[in-house]
Amino acid sequence: MTGGQVILIVEDNARNLKLARDILNHVGYRTLEAETAEDGLALARAERPDLVLMDVQLPGMDGVEALGRLKTDPLTADIPVVALTAFAMRDDRDRLLAVGFDAYLEKPLNVREFPGQVDAVLRRADVGSRT
Amino acid sequence: MDPAVRAQPTPPPAEERVDQRRRALEYAAEQQIATSEVLETIGRSALGLKPVFETVVRHAVRLGGADGGFVWQLDGDVFRLAVAVGGSAEYHRYLAEHPISPGPGSLVGRTAHERRTQQIADAATDPEYEWHKARDLAGFHTMLGVPMVADERVVGVIGLWRTQVDLFDALTVGLVTNFAAEGVIAIQTVELVQELKERSAELARSVDELRALGEVSLAVSSSLDLDYVLTTIVSRAVELSGADGGSIFEFEQSTGEFSLRTCSGTSEELADALRAVRIRLGETFVGGTATAGRGRQAADLDREPSDPHIELLRRHGWRSMVALPLQRENEIIGALVIRRKSRGPFASEMVDRLQTFANQSAVAIHNARIFRELEEKTEQLQVASRHKSEFLASMSHELRTPLNAVIGFSDVLLERMFGELNPRQEEYVRDIRNSGHHLLELINDILDLSKVEAGRMELDLGAVSLPDLLAEGIAMVRERADNHAISINLDVAADVGTVLADELRLRQVILNLLTNAVKFTRDQGSVAVTACLVGDDAHVSFCDTGIGIADAEQEEIFEAFERGGRAARTSAEGTGLGLTLSRRIVDLHGGRLWMQSTLGVGSTFSFSIPLPPGSATRVDESEAGSAVMGALERGGRVLVVEDDRRSADLFRVYLEGVGYAVSVARDGVEGLELARQLNPKAVILDILLPGVSGWELLAQLKGDPTTAAIPVVITSMLDERGAGFALGASGYLVKPVGRDELLEALSRCVTPPADERTVVVIDDDPLDLDLVEAVLSPEGWLVVRAAGGEEGVRLVRSERPAVVLLDLLMPEVDGFEVVERLRADPLVADVPIVVLTSKEMTPVDQERLAGRISFLAQKGTVGHGELVELVGRLAGTRSAPLEETT
Repeated sequence: MTGGQVILIVEDNARNLKLARDILNHVGYRTLEAETAEDGLALARAERPDLVLMDVQLPGMDGVEALGRLKTDPLTADIPVVALTAFAMRDDRDRLLAVGFDAYLEKPLNVREFPGQVDAVLRRADVGSRT
Repeated sequence: MDPAVRAQPTPPPAEERVDQRRRALEYAAEQQIATSEVLETIGRSALGLKPVFETVVRHAVRLGGADGGFVWQLDGDVFRLAVAVGGSAEYHRYLAEHPISPGPGSLVGRTAHERRTQQIADAATDPEYEWHKARDLAGFHTMLGVPMVADERVVGVIGLWRTQVDLFDALTVGLVTNFAAEGVIAIQTVELVQELKERSAELARSVDELRALGEVSLAVSSSLDLDYVLTTIVSRAVELSGADGGSIFEFEQSTGEFSLRTCSGTSEELADALRAVRIRLGETFVGGTATAGRGRQAADLDREPSDPHIELLRRHGWRSMVALPLQRENEIIGALVIRRKSRGPFASEMVDRLQTFANQSAVAIHNARIFRELEEKTEQLQVASRHKSEFLASMSHELRTPLNAVIGFSDVLLERMFGELNPRQEEYVRDIRNSGHHLLELINDILDLSKVEAGRMELDLGAVSLPDLLAEGIAMVRERADNHAISINLDVAADVGTVLADELRLRQVILNLLTNAVKFTRDQGSVAVTACLVGDDAHVSFCDTGIGIADAEQEEIFEAFERGGRAARTSAEGTGLGLTLSRRIVDLHGGRLWMQSTLGVGSTFSFSIPLPPGSATRVDESEAGSAVMGALERGGRVLVVEDDRRSADLFRVYLEGVGYAVSVARDGVEGLELARQLNPKAVILDILLPGVSGWELLAQLKGDPTTAAIPVVITSMLDERGAGFALGASGYLVKPVGRDELLEALSRCVTPPADERTVVVIDDDPLDLDLVEAVLSPEGWLVVRAAGGEEGVRLVRSERPAVVLLDLLMPEVDGFEVVERLRADPLVADVPIVVLTSKEMTPVDQERLAGRISFLAQKGTVGHGELVELVGRLAGTRSAPLEETT
């Protein structure tokens, strides 16, 4: 079902990165990992993953800025980017969706639903690119 | 012995009696005239007593056959001449200059002393008579004195004299006695009038004073502008005391000096000079007054010991002053100085009154100081509070990050992603996860609370269906209640519908109160939830048969981290912040949260929440069968471009009432901007807009690829539908626009996107799946089949279908759980669910689904055509999906 799609995880906390990676790998996705926005951008350009999971609070360049770079770069503009944040307040959600994230996931992740949520974004993007 | 011969004449002979009788009649007649004249004079006696007494004496002298007469009036301890008739001017002057004390030496003194009528047969020979100088001047011999008695006090004496020895007869005595009585009336009248005048003047003074004090008090209480207050006080004090100027000095504790604060009636030059003067406590006139603690006056400044302040005043032409201390609870605050350009003392009552002004000034200065301190403290507190909020926000983020791993890895293990767990391992992992969740709840509550306290919790108000929220909340605690055999009953009055609230926040409050009610109720207990309308509010109560809360603890439990000691008595788990937070949230809504409780019997927690303005009752056609049609439109955003606020508000109420989110743009520029940003489901567009017109905006929207697909419904005062549709509008409404008209036009043009032509059917019976597929597929629907609840939930999440058809009775994950899980997932929470079941629905079943599904029917009762129509309608489209062109 997941057909070996590639997901780039940008997350500075090593354990959280491992959690997301292990779950995604478990359900069949391939994953790429970056602990900073800069590394993430480089990987995204080089590998052109199917989806980017972006932690919003990153050291140095934050997730919002990284999103802007991804969306303005023709190489990566059509890759859906999902925000991951521990600031789970409603205004954050609205703010993040408003700046152009394709979806929003709050920490702690709901392990059971997480694969389905990622899948839903991928499918939506897929439909979008075909029309 | 009394040498005076009393007016007790011996019986006269018969002819004399006749003559007396005649005289008596004449007397009576004349007396009548005299009396009326006297009374008339008394009537005018407001002018003074002299005219009255003159009239009295004149008539008495004439009628009594006397050569002269007088009236003496009591003044303190002595009698002074009021009026004299007859005799020389020198004699009158002598009388006027010689007051008489009571005693036998004079006619007046003797009469006053004896308090009875006195007759002196011959003053020249009377052994006790002493006023010979007067007798020499007037030459009188026989004298008659009658006392004027008021309130048993001799207030005056009326007297007659003859220059010969000739006793006054009884008739004359009676006549003069009558006149004396009239004189008394006159005195009393005049006293009354005078008293009245004084009282009036006093009253007028009091009124002036009150008015002045009123202005002062008003200034003191209404204004914290100290200079304004003090200037008001000093100028009113100057005005009221008839003085020429004044000033207020403020005492500075740290320097021990007084400095000029404000003044009135004072030249700029003097004011500047006064500002420069140093007045030390205890030194100078003013400094000494403050130390003494009471007012002190200088009737003549030139006679006072010189000090820099007095020196200045003298130089600027001031001649007298009174200084009053400003004190508050023995603390010296300053001094009030009132000055005159003329010499002379200030009346003591005036000084007293000025002290009142001084006290007011003290209060004003004291208040202003407190206010200043308060302001500084408030500012410090605000800074501290801001730091606290920022700290909490970042703390909560720091805490969530590791919690993500704690909860996440626990879940990974519990999901058996990497292999089986033995029962003990599972138990421990579950403990880890539950503790993690508990910690998370705590963090969320703390963060919310800090937001409220920092004034940064903003409510996203809209029309919210209270019955729906209550039913949802009950569904969420149902499992826990069932585990403890606790029954939950919901009783919503028929007129309870929407309230004006932030849906997420209100849900939080309801869930908190429900969770508490279940948590603190013993097994086999019950929880009753009721909702009704009271005035402009909806009242909701949660009544449990729990352990109750002691009176003393009832307010405490609303304090953060207090649970009325209940945590100690029960194993119940919670953050202890829920009630505090709930109360704050309800407060923010303009409602109230309160409780009643009896220890050992149970508790009732209630809250009130305001209804949307102008909508006392529910605008909703929800009847049995159609469940909640509101869900049909849930989730979409509509942009209203409307410059008239009232129209915009009205549209907002209509749209939010059925679940749309609404954004409003006030003009065309903002409208285009928001349409691009929000990508709304539809735009409601007013034509008459300031600047860019509705027509221009419509053209811009349709000309921009990012917004061209958004349906636009035009609202206009003019019917120009031809132009509207030609320019690409999907609907055209002529104002005034009614609710139903608006919603109908909107639902007509809101077509679901292509990927929403999917229907997920969840049923464990393959035959039923076949049946549904057979009915819907020919109508253009993509039917996705799920043979169980688990698979169904997963497919709904991945497919995000337009409609879900759901069976209730399924093994493992049943239909109820599917509903709960879908509704809890924001990604699919708005997907309409049609329940088709063969289960006999109990009230409890109904309640579990209430407000969460769009349609409920028994299998086999819905015809094929009906099912197609229903799915089409719920998917938000009227036309068959096949007609859609791309």
